[in-house]
Amino acid sequence: MDPVGNPAPRERSRYALKSRARYADLQRHVISFGRELRRRELLATSTETVDALRALECVDIGDREDVYTSLRSVFTSRLEDVPIFDQVFNQFWQRIAEVEQQPDNADDLPSEAGEAGDLEQSGEGEEQLRLTSPDAGEGAEEGEGDEEALPLYSPIEMLVNKDFSRFNADEMTEIARAVLVIAKRLATKESRRTRISTRSHLIDPRRTMRRNMKYGGTILELARKRRKIRKPRLVLICDVSRSMDTYSRFLLQFIHAMQNTLGKVESFVFSTTLTRVTPYFKNEDIQDALDRIAREVEDWSGGTRIGQSLQTFNERWARKLVDRHTIVLILSDGLDTGDAEILRAAMEVLDERAAKVIWLNPLLGSKDYRPLARGMSTALDHVDVFAPAHNLASLLDLSKHLAV
Amino acid sequence: MIEGIRGIQEMMEREQYVTDRAIATTAYLAMELRKPILIEGQAGVGKTEIAKVLASALNTELIRLQCYEGLDVNTALYEWNYPKQMLRIKMEEGSRKDADEQESLIFSDSFLLKRPLLRAITAEDKPPVLLIDEVDRSDEEFEAFLLEVLSDFQVTIPELGTIRARHRPYVVLTSNRTRELSDALKRRCLYLWIDYPSFDKELRILTTKVPGINDRLARQVAMFMQAVRQVKLNKTPGVAETLDWAMSMMALHQDHLEQETVRETLGAFIKDRDDVARLSGKALEVLVGGMNGAEDEDVTQWTQSVTQRLEREVATR
Repeated sequence: MDPVGNPAPRERSRYALKSRARYADLQRHVISFGRELRRRELLATSTETVDALRALECVDIGDREDVYTSLRSVFTSRLEDVPIFDQVFNQFWQRIAEVEQQPDNADDLPSEAGEAGDLEQSGEGEEQLRLTSPDAGEGAEEGEGDEEALPLYSPIEMLVNKDFSRFNADEMTEIARAVLVIAKRLATKESRRTRISTRSHLIDPRRTMRRNMKYGGTILELARKRRKIRKPRLVLICDVSRSMDTYSRFLLQFIHAMQNTLGKVESFVFSTTLTRVTPYFKNEDIQDALDRIAREVEDWSGGTRIGQSLQTFNERWARKLVDRHTIVLILSDGLDTGDAEILRAAMEVLDERAAKVIWLNPLLGSKDYRPLARGMSTALDHVDVFAPAHNLASLLDLSKHLAV
Repeated sequence: MIEGIRGIQEMMEREQYVTDRAIATTAYLAMELRKPILIEGQAGVGKTEIAKVLASALNTELIRLQCYEGLDVNTALYEWNYPKQMLRIKMEEGSRKDADEQESLIFSDSFLLKRPLLRAITAEDKPPVLLIDEVDRSDEEFEAFLLEVLSDFQVTIPELGTIRARHRPYVVLTSNRTRELSDALKRRCLYLWIDYPSFDKELRILTTKVPGINDRLARQVAMFMQAVRQVKLNKTPGVAETLDWAMSMMALHQDHLEQETVRETLGAFIKDRDDVARLSGKALEVLVGGMNGAEDEDVTQWTQSVTQRLEREVATR
């Protein structure tokens, strides 16, 4: 049915006035609509649901376009949300249309969920909604955080299980030292924001005036400020496919050290799929972290699909994690088995968004290597720095590229 | 469509802003629910324009805060007028005011420089429209501060106390999506995505904004733009570019598109050197060549067939 060509437009159709039972139905549908959107990772909590109901009171509920636009403006918050919203909206609209068709009391409509059922019985307005939905909304969701965003794999799905048992202690301290040098470089970028300081050439007029009031306004003391130091953000994406086996252990130590020295670091590993590993490295013993990663990353030492993995990164993470101050560091040998065009497109997007894209290639250390691997050569156009990463010296060398 | 939305739409059209249902509905809801609108969309689709049009349609003041990297609270909210304060202190030197009197004198309203956010909060007569432009260019610290102001519409100045908004401003935020805004800020707003206009809408924009343009030229310019936007360019031209171009065609007394003139005026709407190179050769022939005589064809079909040929041209370059 298509109710767009429905009865003449009603002036400020207050749904609630028509029938209390219908309003309860509408509420129920909007609540389950919101819940469905939330399940699909849209920002739709009880606050949005209340807003949605308020919005629907302002428009003609029989007019599909009005309802669509109103709900979309409340429930979506970025372009990527819109196609998901559209999908879910179609189902929702059919239900609404049913409500609209229902002659009177709609008790026999298939009930959506338990909580919504309560509402229907009491049939009360917004107050009720506020009371019932928050526990299903924010409260429960907030706590999940990182855990929820990380896909969890069952051990059976693991293709290969790797043992990271032996680590050379000297190797560890060397890496820690290299990372410190790099970190110092990173931590010296000045921002345009300022903070209070005693030794600087910048005068803070607001505080100077304030301080010198005690001398009747004669300026005797100068208050100073200095520019804040801004650490750039860093995103590390490390290839752990089979061809990288010799290096990935070493590089993961590097990532671990970077993350624990530098604050704003996010890290990912990929072979055929992408996995976020930031939480694994957080204040954890390197050994435990590596064990967990080897256990939980699905296809450790599998094939390589750089293009797909970077594409996933762009779609799921880039807008949150990468901005003009972010350096993206890709650690991979560029031996891709996937589609070169996908890789090129993904690199283009990444390059556009980030301050700098650095590609560290362990193979670059060998004299015979030329970046001829199909994937690598297409990606190079969008790489700001292409450097070797086969030993500590090369990592130390990296520090000179790490300023935005 | 209910009266209220139609009203907004008519109001905006009266201000020469060609709008559509989605824009009008969101604007209407923003007023009814008293929520800010967050507008996203490509450059040149008229995001900023919405705030301007709303302000003049509501006959109220437009206060604009242009965001940029490093924008801080002093620049957005208030600053004391230091030179004026110092001059006053000099003038008062002979007087017998004690330090306290002196202090309350120079930290009073007349020494306060109101920046956009404070001006929006202290507006006297009626709610102003507060445009927070390109909010994605400010940094996260500022965004957090903004969120605070947008929830309470009150600010505290240590020397003066808390100032509460007399009229809650209508707030329009725009973003070019260079970074993701915080969830908290997004949740406070109604969201509106503005896409490049459809052929019909662009045609209406042309006839509204370019006085005296004839139907044939307007149609052709709109068709041309529809097709060009399908091509992968470094900088896809927006509506502003369409208008610039149409104006230059008018200035050259053209009443339809011809390859030569289009090539010469390409710079009016293609602002990237590589893009100009991409479009100026055979591609232009494909675009303009098939156009004269195709005015009565279905525009969608025409765009599709041209786009396919165009992509081949651009790709072979």
